[in-house]
Amino acid sequence: MTTLLEASTDAGLAARLQNITKSYAHFQLKKIHLELVKGSVMGLIGPNGAGKSTIMRILMGLVNPDSGTVSVLGTTISSSDAAAKQDIGYFSDDMRLYKPESVGWHMQFVRSLYPTWDDQYAADLLRRFGLIEHQAVKGLSHGQRVKAMLLLILARRPKLLILDEPTNGLDPVARHEVLGELMKVVEDENRTILYSSHNTQDVEQISDSITFIDRGHVISAGNRDEYLDRWKRIRLQVSDDWSVPNLDGLRLESSFRSLRVLSMNQFQDSTMERIQESGATIESIAPMTLEEIFVSTVMRGREEKSL
Amino acid sequence: MNLQAVKILFLKDLFLSRRQLFAYFAAGLASSALTTIPNPTVSFVGFLLMITVAIASGIHLIGTLMLSESTDQTRLFVMSMPISLLDYSVGKIAVILTTYLIPWSAMFASSAILTFVLPTSKHGSFAVLPAIFLFLLCAFLIQLVTAVVSESVGWTISVMVGCNVGLNVFFMQLFASPEISAAAKSDSVSWPPVLIQLLTVELLIAAGALVTAFIAQTRKRDLV
Repeated sequence: MTTLLEASTDAGLAARLQNITKSYAHFQLKKIHLELVKGSVMGLIGPNGAGKSTIMRILMGLVNPDSGTVSVLGTTISSSDAAAKQDIGYFSDDMRLYKPESVGWHMQFVRSLYPTWDDQYAADLLRRFGLIEHQAVKGLSHGQRVKAMLLLILARRPKLLILDEPTNGLDPVARHEVLGELMKVVEDENRTILYSSHNTQDVEQISDSITFIDRGHVISAGNRDEYLDRWKRIRLQVSDDWSVPNLDGLRLESSFRSLRVLSMNQFQDSTMERIQESGATIESIAPMTLEEIFVSTVMRGREEKSL
Repeated sequence: MNLQAVKILFLKDLFLSRRQLFAYFAAGLASSALTTIPNPTVSFVGFLLMITVAIASGIHLIGTLMLSESTDQTRLFVMSMPISLLDYSVGKIAVILTTYLIPWSAMFASSAILTFVLPTSKHGSFAVLPAIFLFLLCAFLIQLVTAVVSESVGWTISVMVGCNVGLNVFFMQLFASPEISAAAKSDSVSWPPVLIQLLTVELLIAAGALVTAFIAQTRKRDLV
């Protein structure tokens, strides 16, 4: 499946994956096609082991795909070419700093590799994140470690941020601080973010487009607001012999006695008429959260495959 | 290849291994000094310590600079920066070799000097020193190749054990050779053909292991 974002030309894209496949012993990434528009924030959502981290590592040139092409900021990415990484900031929950060394030492190390390093911004982030420059990494809490890594990434002023589960394991305050800083980055229209998280609330808050991935496939992609607009949860009272009307995108989520809960992924006014015609009484129509949309999308995808 | 990036990576690892480097350098010199004491037991203990330092420093450096970057997940941090696999490989192999060769060279040089300076020492024993130290270097490089190719602590430890067993066999065979034994006990330095052949084989193994380590590292498809 192709992600449908506004731009279709390479000039308007920060990153493009075309027909990417990658096979491991127990996992396969299958024909991934993904386009990330410059200045946008894309949320990549998927269950554990869906392939989010692999996609991000392929984008960074850290993992070579078995087939397909990857271009990032106008350059074809490969493990032998490091120049393209100059403008990319990559964070992974699996990434660690050198424990015996201080935050300041890491800042100096990263600074030596990036001409774009912004000392003023780094000092500012250090203060706002409440980090101590001479503190050794081994003495940092998980939240402080994440903030230290984000400081090291953001202070190089990358054009593209690839963030793999940056808020994983953070307490609510630390999460708020991290997301707040990312929101400031988003204000710069020239900067692009690809953001993965299990926490759909975070993704909903920061992203303007969403891509769902499951078991190595992109199963759905689109604009966040459109997703939230067209997905609805419909509660019905029905008789015993009632059956779900044959409407595209309508799915039975749960049932209890005469109560039925349906989800609809392309809700229109005509949807209500069709349901009422089936003999059901509509109790309520409510918007769905991104998490509910995600779960429903994954379950629909898996059901289709099992048919 | 980006030489500036290689230099930064080299200096980073040199800094990270500074404590071990200093400790092994000091231990190497101390064990060399012990060999000068005119007591056969203490002198032998000094020699054993010197061999132990050479083995331990190799194990420690491969563990901390090569294998731990993978297990501690710091490699992902390094490779997320504008560093290619070639830059990383050159920097990594260069710094591991350098940090090993510093105490190795200090021990080799001090041992060589002592064979000429000490009144109790036979000058001919100088000839066996390159063979012994080159064996230690070969063992270290073979362990390095194993670590690079397998990225496995288990495999690397297995090869380390094999190399240490091999060292005992090497000593037995070295002094079992009448030509080498005679050369070592001589008052002047001589190079019997069998010793030259041994040195040639050791140099070839060292060079082969180094090239293999480099090729294996640069042929990897995935950086993490």
